[in-house]
Amino acid sequence: MDPQDLETLNVLLDRDVELRENIKDQVNEFDKKTRTMVGLLNKIHSTPCFGEVPSLLDSVKPVLTSCQEITAAIASIVPPNQLWRWKELWSNSLRTAVFAAALIEYLSNRRLITLPKVAQTLGLKDEWQDRVALPAEDYLHGIISLVNELSRLAVNAVTLGNFDEPIRISIFVKNLFAGFSMLNLKNDTLRRRYDGLKYDIKKIEEVVYDVSLRRLASSQSVPSTTQ
Amino acid sequence: MSATNDELELFDNFRADLDDHNDRRERLIKASRDATNLSKKTIFLLHRLMMEDSNISTVDNAPGKRAALRGREKLVEVQTIYAGLRQELEGNRFWRYQSQVSPGLQEYIEALGFAHYLEYGSLITFDQVQQTLADSQGVPFFPLTISDYLLGLSDLTGELMRYAISGISRRGGRKKASEVCAFVRGCKSDFERLTPYVWELKKKQYVTGQSLEKIEDAAYAIFVRSSEYDLSPDMLDDIVAQAISSYSTDGLSARPRRGFGHDDLEDT
Repeated sequence: MDPQDLETLNVLLDRDVELRENIKDQVNEFDKKTRTMVGLLNKIHSTPCFGEVPSLLDSVKPVLTSCQEITAAIASIVPPNQLWRWKELWSNSLRTAVFAAALIEYLSNRRLITLPKVAQTLGLKDEWQDRVALPAEDYLHGIISLVNELSRLAVNAVTLGNFDEPIRISIFVKNLFAGFSMLNLKNDTLRRRYDGLKYDIKKIEEVVYDVSLRRLASSQSVPSTTQ
Repeated sequence: MSATNDELELFDNFRADLDDHNDRRERLIKASRDATNLSKKTIFLLHRLMMEDSNISTVDNAPGKRAALRGREKLVEVQTIYAGLRQELEGNRFWRYQSQVSPGLQEYIEALGFAHYLEYGSLITFDQVQQTLADSQGVPFFPLTISDYLLGLSDLTGELMRYAISGISRRGGRKKASEVCAFVRGCKSDFERLTPYVWELKKKQYVTGQSLEKIEDAAYAIFVRSSEYDLSPDMLDDIVAQAISSYSTDGLSARPRRGFGHDDLEDT
């Protein structure tokens, strides 16, 4: 090979290595933030009085908002049109951030957070679409994590004496599952995780069954699930 | 809590989104397979053309030029495929589907590099490859990646090994083989430096090493055997050519000899 050409290739490849390192630095910070959020959100399983949940959520929200710094930094590093070249690096952190945002939204408003809302919370701008964005796949991964977490919460809520929560969770998760059933998933991790959802649903159903059989839940919420 | 309709509508959009993605992915995999197929055929064609000529080491390299021309003609079909993928791989999409497109591209680069080598005896450059994947104004259909370029060329060394060894017993074949040997050796050492950057190159470098050894062994065997006769390479070629021609052209006019030509069997 011509020495000049070889050198050019070497320089270009070196540049990519540097770029990767820079992105990785940001992803490390991102990862710290998402882990902090997951750590804090774990306390919902041990917060006896649901009245304390809002203040717990308030402590997580600033961390979630601070992820905007990361997305902005990534957007400034990634070259145009190279989102898909590098996104594997931050996919996991991004999915965890979606999960945190979705859990906060559920616990605050009992609603499913929409994709645009998550993107907005994370400060993702439309003009960054080719560098850093929230693809449907990552959003759906985050939502599946939410279901995994809620099946745990259904169990722990009962232990903490909150018998209505499992029933609310049951309705919410069933709706979500109906939504996921509409998707044509191919054989990838999303498909596998979707297949795992039925175990979460089963777990929640068992809790609902136990609670309603023993007439622990307040009367108005029971008929809506047992029909 | 009766947000069911909203949610279903939300998921309806995701379905359209995912279907669009999966369909495009499938289309690209098919196109890539077609490109691979045509490129492989081109490589075979090049091998055949080089075998047809009795002397592969002429001064003006006419056989090489002829073969390269035919090979490039064939590769236009592959270029047409890639021209058609332009929309599918526009902007942000290229990197999303890079792994689907990459196998076909590597095969194409291998075939193109082979044709280039046969004509010029040198390695095709990155820019030269990119130019073949661009419209008449020189605008690329999509960006060529360095890793596809290197991996395609790394596969080329295997074809060169085949080319060198299959031609070694023919007129000028030994000279050709030693040229190829030096060239592959050069490729291997050039790629070595770039290996840490391109993950898959490590494996391919190993294969290149094996190909190189095969050529070296063949060159060694020829050297040792020819040293038993005190003849010039040209005269050796003549002796070999004579021996072969008595079998190949037409069996009847050649001197009938005992041996393994099936013409003998028909005569009896």
